[in-house]
Parts: sequence; structure tokens; C-alpha cells
Amino acid sequence: MTLVPPLMTLDALAVGQSGTVLHITPHTAGQTEDGVDLARRLMELGFVPGERIRMLKRGIPGGDPLAIKVGNATFALRRFEAALITIQPLLQPE
Amino acid sequence: MGAVETIVDAGVHKPPHQPQIALLGNPNCGKTALFNRLTGARQKVANYAGVTIERKEGHFTSPAGTPVRLLDLPGAYSLSATTPDEAITRDVVGGLRRGDPRPDAIICVVDATNLRLNLRLVLEVKRLGLPMLLALNMTDVARKRGMLIDTARLSQELGMPVVETVAVQHDGEKALLNAIDAMLPLPVVEAKPLAAIDAVSVEETQREVRRILAAVSNDSSDTGNLTEKIDDVVLHPVFGPLILAVLMFLIFQAVFAWAATPMEMITDGVGHLGALLTANMPDGHLKSLLVEGIIGGVGSVLVFLPQILILFFFILSLEDCGYLPRAAFLLDRLMGGVGLSGRAFIPLLSSFACAIPGVMAARTIQNPRDRLVTIMIAPLMTCSARLPVYALIIAAFIPQRQVWGYLSLQGLVLFVLYFAGIISAMAVAWVMKRGMGVRGNQPLMLELPAYHWPHLRNLAVSLWERAKIFLTRVGTIILSLMIILWFLSTFPGAPDNAIHPPIYYSLAGILGRGLEVIFAPIGFNWQICIALVPGMAAREVAVGALGTVYALSQTGDALATTLEPLIAHSWSMATALSLLAWYVFAPQCLSTLSVVKRETGGWRYPLLMAGYMFALAYAASFITYRVALMLGA
Repeated sequence: MTLVPPLMTLDALAVGQSGTVLHITPHTAGQTEDGVDLARRLMELGFVPGERIRMLKRGIPGGDPLAIKVGNATFALRRFEAALITIQPLLQPE
Repeated sequence: MGAVETIVDAGVHKPPHQPQIALLGNPNCGKTALFNRLTGARQKVANYAGVTIERKEGHFTSPAGTPVRLLDLPGAYSLSATTPDEAITRDVVGGLRRGDPRPDAIICVVDATNLRLNLRLVLEVKRLGLPMLLALNMTDVARKRGMLIDTARLSQELGMPVVETVAVQHDGEKALLNAIDAMLPLPVVEAKPLAAIDAVSVEETQREVRRILAAVSNDSSDTGNLTEKIDDVVLHPVFGPLILAVLMFLIFQAVFAWAATPMEMITDGVGHLGALLTANMPDGHLKSLLVEGIIGGVGSVLVFLPQILILFFFILSLEDCGYLPRAAFLLDRLMGGVGLSGRAFIPLLSSFACAIPGVMAARTIQNPRDRLVTIMIAPLMTCSARLPVYALIIAAFIPQRQVWGYLSLQGLVLFVLYFAGIISAMAVAWVMKRGMGVRGNQPLMLELPAYHWPHLRNLAVSLWERAKIFLTRVGTIILSLMIILWFLSTFPGAPDNAIHPPIYYSLAGILGRGLEVIFAPIGFNWQICIALVPGMAAREVAVGALGTVYALSQTGDALATTLEPLIAHSWSMATALSLLAWYVFAPQCLSTLSVVKRETGGWRYPLLMAGYMFALAYAASFITYRVALMLGA
């Protein structure tokens, strides 16, 4: 029986879990005051649909920021940035 | 983009001229190490015209004998330019920067262990149609991790020569040099405008990267490597901050302990030189100027070179091995609490060495408000120019003994001073952010690069740069201030019936006694007040100035003794503590203020900075002095 886990945003992924990037939300909240297009920037850093990601670490206190592995690079994101990234989690981390 | 005409114009080259090649790549791809390897010491570090981003240019001669100019561009993830650094890279590559001709060819440096991220920039730049060469860097690490890359196939897919390089290894650049020769003479091309890059979407480009990767590499899933294992500890919720705290503490202990011997040697050398001149020159103003003004004054600043180099050694090593971004990660929440991002940590840490590179490094912060606040608090970080003053006063007033068995009390006091700077910086940041009205969340987006051993050659090159900057300062600003101060302290001479040392009657003495009215409530005597005046130009000058003031106000024998027991004898403990508190806050560095003016584009912020820092300094010294007096110091 194959269970497809429900879609979630990256900020909710538990430490050690993996997933695949599905979609980056380009909504208005992603536009910061200085006009940086967060969605575009995230893609430039490698958070492109289809890429594998893995949650490495969560900061302290409060689980912020997050250390996320994408491809072979690791980036630190704040939770609200990670929340723009919709992922398909994998049930079994390899 | 309204500058398309200029691009076309700049794209046409008129050979023959010395080929100009630019190094381009993602941050952390080993680009600068490769640059150092290619150019060695034949490099010129300056700024890009009109901005304060470091511009590194060098020269080398190819194996076939062609001289080549090499430009090291700031690291970029993309040419769509989110940060000022990336904007520079984009503009140089696009031929849009006045004074920087469009490069004739581009060497794209990529981290072989992370082609998935690095290749996208290569594909973007390729759309400009300039002659290109791919340097597959860190191939040694990739091989160790079992990653296989078919360079011939990669070259075929990308349509450009691909060479393997190991920037941190002797001869690791050989293949690259040969490949450069194979490219020469460079063809004359009409490069396309920057807009060509955006013709294809990021997603489309990434699909192409994936296709190429599938064709050229085994792309082993890179889990559980050493970097991740180290991060398990270094980013651990409990051990991580603990390691950071211990590391910072050890650095400050080392700054004191390791520097002791070389500092003694410098002191002795200066002393011998002074004694030699004293013995062999006729008495008079010239002898006084040389021995007391120049040798005494400059020598007392020069002695701090070892400490400054040790501090830079640690900061540069931590930066090189990849620890600094981890520290930013650990501190992000803390910085977030006062409205800054973890990114601000790196400019602030640089400010521990000197506020000027710190203020400049703030350019890597995307948010203008974050950047402004970071600039404003950068001078509160204890820069190395404060060390001479701290070191002098601590050595004179804090007993040299161990507390809790193994910690040096002097090191502990120094730690407290550093800590006071950090805490007050956080408080100022919080107040400023409030005043600006914080809006919305700030992004972090910080890469945590793979760890590697700090590279000694790079470290040596950077340390040499720092030493040169410090020695130039000693030789120019400090030397001239010492001479001016000597004149101010010598003329006019004392009257015949003088009851005070001659300096009391000089111009400096008059000025110092005038200032004493303002500074007496915080415990400063007129000697300190005199030293504060030239100390405005550069903090460390105050030590040299004190040397001159005291050397001149003492008689014969006292000249030979060092400054330290002198002030220990003539100041109260309360005065010493008050001066330490003053130095935590006082904006005594005209070069910092001038950089802030340049970075913020006006007088408003440097004046605000000077104002708030003087106010804090006076308040802190007042409280320290009064409390110390009450406690009987």
C-alpha cells in the first residue's frame, strides 16, 4: 500500500526528514520592503521545483532559523522564508 | 534597462591589448584562493569606483609568456543581483561600469562538489556570449567523496573548455594556466546585453543543469559527510553556543598570552634605539623631537602589531574554514531579538578587528534598514585600535593573577570590556529599530559552506595585507599626529619660574587644561585630556600621546621607564576604570566616521553616530567613576 503524505511547507518538516520542492509561493508577503523578490531569490539559491531537500538542523530557541540541505549546498533560512516553499515530504528518509 | 547602447559599445574590443580576464563564481567556491594562486603577491586591493566593495586585481604571465590582467569579481549566486556585491559583478560582466572595461574572457569557477547550484550561474553567463573557461575547483574533495565528473562530456555539454583545479594545492592551477594559453589570442566578440540572461527562467535553467548533471556525473547523494557530522556538534542546541562562547573567550586570552613575547621584543628594540640616540645626539629640540616625539610616540603604537595580527589570524581562520556562517546561524535568534539578522554578525565580527571593514561588509546585508543599523553599531564592537589603550590600562591597574585557578584576571577584564561593547550595541540596535518602526520579516538566506582546513598561504597573504595597513597607518597618520603633538606639547616653553613640567605651559597643556573642566567630573586629569585630542584621529594614538605627554612631563630618569608604571603611579583606579568605560563608547576615529559618511551618502548618520557615542561615553564614564569612588577605588 502506498501512502502519499500530504503536501506541506518546508518550515514544518522535522529534522532529518527529506522532501522534494514542488512550488515556491510568490505571494505579496514574499516581497520584502526593499523590493527583494524572495521567491526568485530562493530559486536562485537552488530551491527550484523538483530539487530534493533535507532538514538538517533547527536553531534555538524556537526552532528558528533552519539549516536546510538542497542539492549539495546547505542554507540557513528563517521560518517565514521556508514557509514559502511547498514540498512533498518523503515518508522514509533514505 | 536603459544602458543597452553602452553595452554594445563596450562589447567591441580593439586588439592588441593586454587581455583582461575576470574570475566569476558563486560565493564559497574557492575563487579567491584560485586568484591568490594565480597572481600570488602581484595583486592590488582597492575599491570599485564610488562604492566600498573590495576590488581585487592582479597580474600573471601565462606559460607561453602572455601577460594577463585578472579581476576577482565579488561572489554571486545569480546575475539578477539581489545584493550590492552581485550588482557589481553583473555590471562589470555587462560592461556597465565606468572605469572597468568589460572583460575579454571569463573564467567561471565552480565548486565541483556542488555543481547543482554552481552550474546555473555558468549557464546564465554563457548567454552573454563572451569567451569562457570553466575551472572545476575542489576536485580533490569531490573525488574523496566518490563523486565522478566526466570533464570531457561536461566541456561538450557546456560548449567551453573545462579544467580541473585545486586552488589550495601547489600546482593546482597548472591545467588552468595551460587552458588559458590555449584560449589566447582571445577572439573579438560582440557580447550580448545582460537582458539575454533573463530570456530563460530560473526553472528552465535548473532543468538544463539537471540534464547536464545526469549526463556527466554519478551525482551520488551526498548524505552524512564530514561537514554534516561536524555541524551535528557545532550547530547543536546546547554544545553549539557553548563552543562559540569558549572559542571567543580563547581568542581573547590568546591575544594577550601569545603576544607577550613579540611585544617585549618591540619594546626593547624601541628602547635601545631611543637610548642610542639619547647617548649620541646633542641636547636640543631635534633630539627631543626624535626621541620623545617620534620614537617614543610611534613605538608605543607599533608594539600592538602582534596583538592585532593574532586577532586577525583568528578571524581570518574562522572565516576561511567556514565557521563564521555557523556562528551567524547560532546567533540569528539573538540578533533577531533586536531586529537584526544573523547576517549582521559577520560585519560586526569584522568590526572587532576594525570598524572600517565592518562598515563595508555591511553591504552584504540586503535590507537597507538592517544595513544602516549594523553600520551604526559597528563602532561599538571593540576594534583592535582600542586594544592598545585597554592593554595599557589593564596592565597598569589590574593585578596579574589567576582567578578560579586558571583564568587570567587581566584577560577576564578584557572580556568584560568586549562584552560591554556587544551588549550596548544590541541595546542601540533595538532602540534604533524601534525608532524606525520595524516592518515585516527580514530574510536570512545564508549559505553554510562545507568545512575545510584554513589555507595557510591565503592566511599569510591576508595577514600581510593587515600588517601593511597597520604599518602604513603608523607611518602616516600616526607619525604626523605624533609630530604635531610634539610641537603642541613643546611650544611655548615653560617660564623661568615654572613649578609644573614644561608641557603644562604649552599649547597642548592649555588645551588639555581647558578640556579638563568638561572631563573632570568623569575623573580625567589634564594629561588624559591632552591625549584625547590627537586620539580623535585614531584611538591608538592616545597611547602614543600619553607616552609623549608623560615623557615630557617627567625628568631624565623617568623617560627611560615605560609608561605603564608611570600611569599606575599617577592615576587613581577610578580614573583608569572611567577611561576604560570611555573607550568602550567614544567615537574616536575620524576614518570610521568618514567611511560611514561615504556608505550612507551624507553627514546625517556620521553626525548622529558621533553624537550618540559621545553621549554614551560620557554617561558610562560618569557612572563608572562615581561608582568606583563610592566603592573606595
